Amino acid sequence: MDEAVLIHSAQNGDLDAFNTLVLHYQSLVFNTAVRVLGDDDLAADASQEAFISAFRSLATFRGGSFKAWLMRTVTNACYDELRRQKRKPTTPLEPETAEGDEVDSPKWLADPNLTPAQKLEADELEHAIQHCLDALPLEFRTAVVLADIQGLDYSEVAIASKVPLGTVKSRVARARLRLRECLRGFEELLPSAFRLESEEI
Amino acid sequence: MNGFRDLEQLSADLDGQLAPSESARLKSRLQLDPELAEAYEDMRQAKGILQKLPARKAPRNFTLTRKMVGLKPPLPRVYPTFKFATTFATILFAISLVVNGLSGSRMAYSAASAPVPDVGQGGGAPDDLFTMPMAAATEAPAATDAPATEAAAQLAPELGVAESSERIVETPTAKDDASELQSQAQGPQEPRDFSIPFIWQALLIAVILIGGLALGWMNQSAKRKWRNE
Repeated sequence: MDEAVLIHSAQNGDLDAFNTLVLHYQSLVFNTAVRVLGDDDLAADASQEAFISAFRSLATFRGGSFKAWLMRTVTNACYDELRRQKRKPTTPLEPETAEGDEVDSPKWLADPNLTPAQKLEADELEHAIQHCLDALPLEFRTAVVLADIQGLDYSEVAIASKVPLGTVKSRVARARLRLRECLRGFEELLPSAFRLESEEI
Repeated sequence: MNGFRDLEQLSADLDGQLAPSESARLKSRLQLDPELAEAYEDMRQAKGILQKLPARKAPRNFTLTRKMVGLKPPLPRVYPTFKFATTFATILFAISLVVNGLSGSRMAYSAASAPVPDVGQGGGAPDDLFTMPMAAATEAPAATDAPATEAAAQLAPELGVAESSERIVETPTAKDDASELQSQAQGPQEPRDFSIPFIWQALLIAVILIGGLALGWMNQSAKRKWRNE
């Protein structure tokens, strides 16, 4: 896949070329959105919005790292989604019994593949990390997601977040320290990985 | 440890963002400063944990459709010409309707407001309202030739009324009567007919209809062609 050629074609209105780029980047985009938003459905919506917005504003892409440019679009879509959530908080759909009492664990919420205990165990690390990520201020969360989870370098993070390089440096450092503090609270729950890291030193 | 600046340096070093000389200096400091070393380790662990997060698979494809991005099918080159012609014809037709409406009402108003001749003077209403004042005007100049004072002097003894010459001057003179008649003769001219002929309106309607149909057909065929691609 020649990315430059595809981008050029997409800039001239070739939707098929753009869709090729979408297929290539959709996992990256969705993963970024899911880590920033902490919710799969919201992340899927934000990802779709990000791609639509990216296609519409593709003319503004003037070369450089397409990945960083796309990450900026995703970040913006996530911020929009969070703002929308603040304005219109949703009420969870809780089923009721015949007597009008709420059902705590409705049948349709259950995963047919895993028992809740298994699921909990499997997702333990992920849940703990996501919990700590959610506790970070949005700017710190975005910086650390882009730098540590998506592996962007500082200059790309700067492009994606529209902030100077020095700010990126500072945000990543602060975010890491806060994350470490937060994860200490889960040391007993998680840590095969976490403890092992400590023992390795 | 010298505050947050050190932490930033540690974090940047973890990401390979420090120059080799700076990195070497930091490493030597790490061996001497246990607090700094602990902070470095915390950051390294945090980074390591984040990198261990499993990558999530996209729940569906996010490929876009033409509808999603509002793309329109490519239209033939003549489309803008047809569009312009149809729009222009529509505007002209609207103007023609307004002009004809105004012209019609003006004619009706002129006919209604034409002066009705004095019955006593003319000996009855003439058939043509516009010809009568003209006739009256041609008769009027004779009266204007006579000086007003003379006419008054002639009339005074007959009426037996003694009036001063100043008073006589103030009375309506024959000259005034004549000029009034003249203005009446000039005033109610036949109004010009500005109405647009029906044939032009019919032509405009034809252009609008043909243009509209052509535009609709071009739109539909472009969409059909696009869907089949």
